[in-house]
Amino acid sequence: MNTNLLLPFKFRKLGWIIFIPSFILGILVLFLNVEFDWLGSKVFTIYAGSGLKIFNDTDTGQMFSFIPGNYTQTLVGILCLVSLMMIAFSKEKNEDEFIWRTRMDSLLWATYINYFILIFCFLFFFDFEFLYIMIFNMFTILLFFIFRFNYILYKERKTMPYEK
Amino acid sequence: MKNNLRVERAIKNITQEELAKIIGVSRQAINSIEAAKYVPSTVLAIKLSDYFGKTVNDIFFLEESD
Repeated sequence: MNTNLLLPFKFRKLGWIIFIPSFILGILVLFLNVEFDWLGSKVFTIYAGSGLKIFNDTDTGQMFSFIPGNYTQTLVGILCLVSLMMIAFSKEKNEDEFIWRTRMDSLLWATYINYFILIFCFLFFFDFEFLYIMIFNMFTILLFFIFRFNYILYKERKTMPYEK
Repeated sequence: MKNNLRVERAIKNITQEELAKIIGVSRQAINSIEAAKYVPSTVLAIKLSDYFGKTVNDIFFLEESD
């Protein structure tokens, strides 16, 4: 087990403190198109255009340039991802080999569930509806992991049948 | 793999919590080893048997399915 790959225990609390407001803000941004003016009117892009016609003669896209835009979505999305990673990958107070194995099992389980759901959605959702699903899909793998991992540890804590 | 960790612990008269603290693992780890739900690493198996003054083979046994 290599616990060096994990963050210190206190990062989990910090993760929750950042995640809860970011999540609420994320819902507002996604469904009510909330945008903060102070987050700019121009964004830097590596490539922007109408589809991926980058090597096409008729390409009207722009590379490495500033285009009209706003960083609200960007900021909220990154805050959600970073805070979820903090919650997911902080050490337990008593991290040991058993908890490490539970962690790895849960990660595998979360990956399976996440892609199973994605394949299902691939089949039955199209266009913008699918884009929304992809946005959620960025976060669900971490959410499934957090839920599964903590549920297993909670269950182990609850059932101590051999305690004398 | 089976083990008689629970018996050894009863002889020494210590709780899972106390044993976990001495060995430096979580209580969940001791509990799942005793319930044969988790096979400990060699390092942990040696630490446990050292504590009880036994060899690993005295505490952990292979099953037919292993």
